[in-house]
Amino acid sequence: MRLFGLNDFLFILSATRWTILLSLLAFALGGLLGAVIAVLRISRFSAVRLAAASYVQLFQGTPLLMQLFLIYYGLSLFGLRLDAWTAVTIAYTIYAAAFLGDIWRGCIQAIPKEQWEASRALALGYAHQLFLVIMPQAVRIAIPPTVGFLVQLVKATAVASIIGFVELTRAGQLMTNATFQPMIVYPIVAVLYLSLCWPLSVWAQHLEKRFRVENVMGRRK
Amino acid sequence: MTYVFQFGIVFDRFPELLEGALLTIRLAAMALVLGLIVAVTCAYLRMSGPKPLRVLVGAYVEGIRNTPFLVQLYIIFFSLPGMGIRMDANQAALVGMVINFGAYATEIVRAGVQSVPAGQIEVGLALGLKRLQIYRFIVLFPAIKAVFPALASQFILLLLGSSVVSAISANELTAIANTLQSTTFRAFEVYIVVTLMYLAIAVAFRGLFAALYWCVFVRGRER
Amino acid sequence: MTTKLRFLVAAGAALFALAIGVQTAGAQALDRILKDKKIRITAEVTSPPFGILDKDNKPTGSEIETARQLAKDLGVELELVQVTGPQRIPALQSDRADLAISSLSITTERAKSVWFSSPHGALSIVIGAGKNVNIKSAADLAGKKIGMTRATLEEQVVPKVAPPGTNIVFFDEHSATQQALLSGQVDAIGGAAFLINELAKRNPDKGIESKFTVMTAFYGIAVKPGNYDLLQWVNTWVFVNKQNGVLAKIYKEHTGVDLVDLPAL
Repeated sequence: MRLFGLNDFLFILSATRWTILLSLLAFALGGLLGAVIAVLRISRFSAVRLAAASYVQLFQGTPLLMQLFLIYYGLSLFGLRLDAWTAVTIAYTIYAAAFLGDIWRGCIQAIPKEQWEASRALALGYAHQLFLVIMPQAVRIAIPPTVGFLVQLVKATAVASIIGFVELTRAGQLMTNATFQPMIVYPIVAVLYLSLCWPLSVWAQHLEKRFRVENVMGRRK
Repeated sequence: MTYVFQFGIVFDRFPELLEGALLTIRLAAMALVLGLIVAVTCAYLRMSGPKPLRVLVGAYVEGIRNTPFLVQLYIIFFSLPGMGIRMDANQAALVGMVINFGAYATEIVRAGVQSVPAGQIEVGLALGLKRLQIYRFIVLFPAIKAVFPALASQFILLLLGSSVVSAISANELTAIANTLQSTTFRAFEVYIVVTLMYLAIAVAFRGLFAALYWCVFVRGRER
Repeated sequence: MTTKLRFLVAAGAALFALAIGVQTAGAQALDRILKDKKIRITAEVTSPPFGILDKDNKPTGSEIETARQLAKDLGVELELVQVTGPQRIPALQSDRADLAISSLSITTERAKSVWFSSPHGALSIVIGAGKNVNIKSAADLAGKKIGMTRATLEEQVVPKVAPPGTNIVFFDEHSATQQALLSGQVDAIGGAAFLINELAKRNPDKGIESKFTVMTAFYGIAVKPGNYDLLQWVNTWVFVNKQNGVLAKIYKEHTGVDLVDLPAL
């Protein structure tokens, strides 16, 4: 029928913007919800901690593919019909929040207990202890793994193709079917993902190194 | 007309789903063991190997971590036969999972090794140990301990990510689910049941890892 | 002009519904479509010649053109709902689309989940393989590895004719199934004759040919169960366009072969 040409490359390239947009949306909204999850997970009330932990377990413990399918097709069985953008935004927000919440909880807990005790000794309330003393320190440790998670998120957007959402992977599938040349199309898709993710990875490593050097001043040879 | 759920159809075929789940578990467990061997080797090479090997391992790690698993599978399953390397779908799935998990785990293990205080390594040097011996006897154990939770999380990601291998006709849990839903047209029932099965497997593995951590790292130290 | 046409169509459908004694209270889907001036129809663009992307990467193919024609005759705007093969039926069940026009072959199995119109096209399922593969009938499939795509007609019919000892494996995408044949990961594949021919044409060095026809099937337009009014209108539309040759013309244009005589459902 036809060979893989410039037009087809441009088609794949332009689908990349949906991959980027979806990643950004998921990251922004998932970050907000994730922050709430992280705070709930270190709550003083065990019921709250348990609820937040169950949320993380549930959404980290099931494939994103199934979550997306059930939100898009499943909810509409109960009369809640979301359009494709709303459905993927909700699904990816929930998904990203589960991971970011867990990463950030780890970072908050990595701050030595003495910091809490010291701020309590200064007569700060719980919220003040958390937001004025602990958070500013935790954020620094949190940045590298957070950027690292972004890479995972970018690749996870590929799953949105199952509900007919035409992002990078789906565009690749469509072009494979139109041109019958998967061995040209898939390497191109791989290179496009690489060009999105590789800079993020390098950035994450760079940040990790920078923060580590400061942390281990006394340990350097 | 409202939708009427019919879980009976799914439970009639539950043995098939169970078989798929077993393959999922087997693939993931084998990929974990083989991937860790790859990771420990590559982490060493990346930090202390000769320069060309260091670059090579770096390229492997970054190349795999920054491209989607599905594309990697396609290349293994569809392109390698052209070079005379032929594997059936389940073997290709395992190889893909080992390569993928190996790359992530290399980075995690490397981070763990770097978290070991330099003083420990200096002690090893003072005792006249060779580099490889220091790595093997002094660094590796505390390094793995430090990154154990990260490895466990990465493994769960591998387990859930394995749902993609149905695309190359490996017959694990998602593949069976897809076949089931396309023959019974009960997509929702099938997916709800399968989602719960994945959750059960993931929770079980998390429990297993917690127990393992306690046995190897906590109890061992008390003794 | 269009309002008049719409009125005529609506009136026709209403009369039709009354004529066969269907309660008009159930006639909501068609009313809604006419009120919204928009109909949502599934588009599966990975199975040539029924649905595919053209040079400018716009959806085309016999089923897409059928959908366009239907929307035009109904006098409403067409919204193509992109789906993957396995999602054609869920898309209807969950009200994502009003109609599925995606070469959905009429089977009793599928009819448990969706309602079919009279057929508007036909396809045959064949076994395709390289010249050197010795397959002449279903009996020869024993001991061979046969690939096919999930949620397709071949998935339903080939296992029924395959003798014990046939190793059938499933892929999620037509492209993966085809690639499995080309890369030698399977001995043969099951699929629509059109697809096998296209694959043979695109890869002359592989010497791919149709080995035998498993079955010929008719595909129809599907609606969500309960939408009597919509189904009635669609049946009328199929009837009219069968008589005036429009369906045959679309079919010939995209598949290159003449449309066989279509029976009524």
